[in-house]
Amino acid sequence: MHQSIIWPAWLAGSGIGLLMVAFFWITGKQLGVSRAYGNFIALMSKNPFFQQQDYVSHSWRIWFIAGIVIGGFVAAMIAHPGKLVLNFDMGDAYNAILPMDLTLRMVVLFFGGVVMGFGARLAGGCTSGHVISGIPMMNGSSVLSGMLFFVGGIMTMQFITRVLVSS
Amino acid sequence: MNNIIYLVLGAVFGLLLSLAGATTFDFYVELFLFQNMQLSRVIASAVLVGVIGIWLMKRVQARAIMTGAKIIFDKKPAPKTLVLGSLLFGAGWAVTGSCPGSAPAMLGEGKLIILPVLLGVFVGTYAYGWMQNKLGSCGSSST
Repeated sequence: MHQSIIWPAWLAGSGIGLLMVAFFWITGKQLGVSRAYGNFIALMSKNPFFQQQDYVSHSWRIWFIAGIVIGGFVAAMIAHPGKLVLNFDMGDAYNAILPMDLTLRMVVLFFGGVVMGFGARLAGGCTSGHVISGIPMMNGSSVLSGMLFFVGGIMTMQFITRVLVSS
Repeated sequence: MNNIIYLVLGAVFGLLLSLAGATTFDFYVELFLFQNMQLSRVIASAVLVGVIGIWLMKRVQARAIMTGAKIIFDKKPAPKTLVLGSLLFGAGWAVTGSCPGSAPAMLGEGKLIILPVLLGVFVGTYAYGWMQNKLGSCGSSST
């Protein structure tokens, strides 16, 4: 029902690498996503932190993230022409580890998002800025950050599956 | 006009993330349990192609097409909070089965369960700014 089209990993991965390089070459800027959330906040909040130059200008980040939404929509349209399937499903693997109650699940996901957003700012970037573009730039802090993203993810998943779910 | 370029680049990025499986929740569980190498291979090939591309750009001293200015590959200084932040990010990455880049693409695909995650990322980002403001270190955190 909600089948999506998945390319071979090397093909899609190479495409993402090429897009990052094209982005750099066209715009002269390093590809990154997580800071865009701060640019959105700058539109609504008077908090001085978000009124800094970095968040007030650089509105390109908002356009870039809007483009990502469109890209997802295009992918769905290719998989199911003319039909957008709106749903709240996550799939079997998350059904096995997250609460089945939708409200409770959404609360868990909300706090997951809070931790991810807060963590990205503490780390100075996310999977795009540190891993996809930072590591190829041979940025030492990005290499460390990328490795620790995985350490955090693996530890959390092991904790969820071994301790929370099995008990 | 420039904004349209960013919109198009974002659309290509979002489409590729979807085709890579980065918008498929279950791949994330399988990634962190080492059951399926799809996303690891995606990241590895993206980084490999990226290394070659960046090397080439440096080699030819590339200029940005939009501005004509020489591209500067400045390395961001590591924030002091990098270790804690990265571990927290990883935890959120695993719990939500998404990342700040793939979540908007999931929204475009009609995966509405991503809405609380997106809201959370906004709240988390705001919390950081609020905290920085309280600490009075505004401006020094321009990493």
